[in-house]
Amino acid sequence: MKTVLVRPERCIGCRHCEVACAIEHSQSKDLFGMLEEVPISKPRIHVEVGINFLTFPNRCRHCDPAPCMQVCPTDAIYRDEETGSVLVNYEKCIHCEACAMACPFGIIRFERVYQVKFKREVNAKCDGCIERQKEGRIPACVEACKTGALEFGETNELIRVSRKDFTVRMLKSQGTEVEVPKVPENIKAFRDIMTKVAEMGPFKED
Amino acid sequence: MYIDPLIVKKEAEKRALDKTDQEMIEKAMQDGIETAWDRLAKQQPQCGFGQLGVCCNRCAMGPCRIDPFGDGPTRGVCGATADLIVARNFLDDLAVGAAAHSDHGREVLEVLLDTAEGKSQGYQIIDETKLKVVAEEYGIKTKGRKKEEIAKDLALAMLEEFGTIKNKIQLAERAPEKTKEMWKKTGIMPRSVDREIVESAHRIHMGVGADYANILLHGLRTSLSDGWGGSMMATEGSDILFGTPVPNTAWVNLAVLSKDKVNLVLHGHNPILSEMVVKAAEDPELKKLAISKGAKGINLVGMCCTGNELLMRHGIPIAGNMLDQELAIATGAVELMLIDYQCIFPSITHTANCYHTKVVATSEKSKVPGAIYMEFKPETALDTAKKIVRMAIENFPNRNPDRVKIPDKPIKMMAGFSEEAIRKALGGSYKPLIDAIASGKIKGIAGVVGCNNPKIKQDYAHVTLGKELIKRNILVAETGCAAIASGKAGLLLPEAAELAGEGLKSVCKALGIPPVLHMGSCVDCSRILVLAANVAKEMGVGIEDLPIAGSAPEWYSQKAISIGSYFVASGVTTHLGIPPKIFGSPNVVDLVTNKLRGLINATFFVEPDPVKAADKIEAEIERRRKALGI
Repeated sequence: MKTVLVRPERCIGCRHCEVACAIEHSQSKDLFGMLEEVPISKPRIHVEVGINFLTFPNRCRHCDPAPCMQVCPTDAIYRDEETGSVLVNYEKCIHCEACAMACPFGIIRFERVYQVKFKREVNAKCDGCIERQKEGRIPACVEACKTGALEFGETNELIRVSRKDFTVRMLKSQGTEVEVPKVPENIKAFRDIMTKVAEMGPFKED
Repeated sequence: MYIDPLIVKKEAEKRALDKTDQEMIEKAMQDGIETAWDRLAKQQPQCGFGQLGVCCNRCAMGPCRIDPFGDGPTRGVCGATADLIVARNFLDDLAVGAAAHSDHGREVLEVLLDTAEGKSQGYQIIDETKLKVVAEEYGIKTKGRKKEEIAKDLALAMLEEFGTIKNKIQLAERAPEKTKEMWKKTGIMPRSVDREIVESAHRIHMGVGADYANILLHGLRTSLSDGWGGSMMATEGSDILFGTPVPNTAWVNLAVLSKDKVNLVLHGHNPILSEMVVKAAEDPELKKLAISKGAKGINLVGMCCTGNELLMRHGIPIAGNMLDQELAIATGAVELMLIDYQCIFPSITHTANCYHTKVVATSEKSKVPGAIYMEFKPETALDTAKKIVRMAIENFPNRNPDRVKIPDKPIKMMAGFSEEAIRKALGGSYKPLIDAIASGKIKGIAGVVGCNNPKIKQDYAHVTLGKELIKRNILVAETGCAAIASGKAGLLLPEAAELAGEGLKSVCKALGIPPVLHMGSCVDCSRILVLAANVAKEMGVGIEDLPIAGSAPEWYSQKAISIGSYFVASGVTTHLGIPPKIFGSPNVVDLVTNKLRGLINATFFVEPDPVKAADKIEAEIERRRKALGI
């Protein structure tokens, strides 16, 4: 099954994935058109700061079995067998939030969507860009990511790349200073500096 | 709105070092006032492409960004690499900063010209001595001439240098010969004020060079046209019009706001209108009006560098630095905030709307929605100033005492250390200072300047660095927000010499001066350059040889990029507490933090931790002492 694998060490917090996601889920599928729409499209991927100004793009993992799907009392949440994507039938969603309580990743948000004509919020979570996938295209967030923080592919294949990378590095470094995957020196230097900045201001952890 | 006081207190302690600031942050939070700290939190995460400097949003083929990990795009649509994009962005920031300082300088000189021609209202030529000294540097005859005649020639000569075709800025001649030779050899001798800035804008355009080093060298030249040009002209012009500062005693922090007087906050950077407000507030009729409105008088306080200008020359109390502008309003006791330009939060009227505070914008180039606009013109300056003071007084009855909270204790401070004042205190020459440096009593001098940045606890880096440096017998010269931070922490008092190392302490005690000297506003970083130039000339060396260093521990502004760059270009290694947007290019980082040393014996270095920064500043000073054989 194809999935979006996150490499958090590569996320630099640009939120380009968020914008691309919102565009993809808008009616016009166009940045400028989107801004005119009511309701306005909202991103279904969330880039948030953890500690030391480091970021993580959090999105639906399309679990199997999916806790949200298991608890949905109206069977609004279902799986697309072909792609494995966990999807929401907006007409059946009753905004009970049981899915949000069950979600281990906290990525379910309730928003108005253009497909529902009433002023009603529904579970507007990631649909894995099912329409794009069926056209043989990769999800919008992955396409937008220019740093390789989001990768789309067969899970085991993506993980195999990481494993290979790790093996090579482990052997080269004889087990010292191992880091997978490698972060360039200048980025490491920048992050070290920002870690210090985080210690000196309002972002200091208690 | 009510928030748990313990949560509020904890948050306030994270945001600011100073207790009075913490107190007002707590009030702002309880009052539901949005401040820069809240907006910074809402901006998280901030874009990494932008922070690394690898986002280029200039032309319509873009916006483009480079993958800092090397797997994605390595060139923009035009073909620019990370090196080029970072260099262009850096030059852009630097040129904006240089333009801000220099345009401020131009306005001062325009008022000087108007005053010389008798067209301005309320202004006089106060410092005739300085007028003559500077005029003579420009080759203007002074003997037997009226001061107005000299001032007119000088103002015109300086204004001409903004667009001069003679390829020379006269004030840059103040640098030691050796330093000037270094500039010529490196190709960074500034040719005019505006030209370097305009050329920067040109070089940022697509297809104007692809050599990052060449672009950055022009950045150094542009910065020199600010430090030794626009900024220095602003300082000299202001001194001639309003007097060269001499040491004085004043009060600092938010407690300078008065419970029973009309509070008028003068915020921004240019002293030209605020000086007239100081005059207007002395008007007996206005004083009477204040009493009739139930106030005990008129209380003028400064904020940011307009505040520093008034503090330096008149000992006007100063309420705080950049992050204090919203907190001052949150006291609920500000009748009117007068703004000119630079570092004024665009949301300041939004903040003021929560209280009775009126915001008055005065510059045609710095209008703010929601502010009352009263245009400053030299020919009607005093009338405008009186109207503004009247407006403040008439707003006093609208103050709601139930919403007022002003911290209790202002802190005493000394300011007014112009280069001339320091030289005079030393007995007319730098020999005593040079002797103290040679003997090791004073290890060196550090110019600590720059802003506040909400990413770092307000004033923490300034104050910690200042204390660390004086402990190590390094004399500290400060301007801008840095100096105000030290004022709040009590470092600008002669008594603070107790915190200094034995050698520095003895020198401070002998002269009755603080170990941290307040040298003025951010354009007055030019005073630090003149001080360094004069010390170097007396020692017969270049500035690049002196045991000195620069620092901007909490910088945020493009102006700080320009100041830092002209420090470095003048041969002074400079510390930055917040990383500049260059880390997306290892080559640019290597150039500005390492390779520049080979050209101008100075570099930038980045270190957020103020104690570690002090270690590195001390090491740099030691390196130079060794080279000098002292």
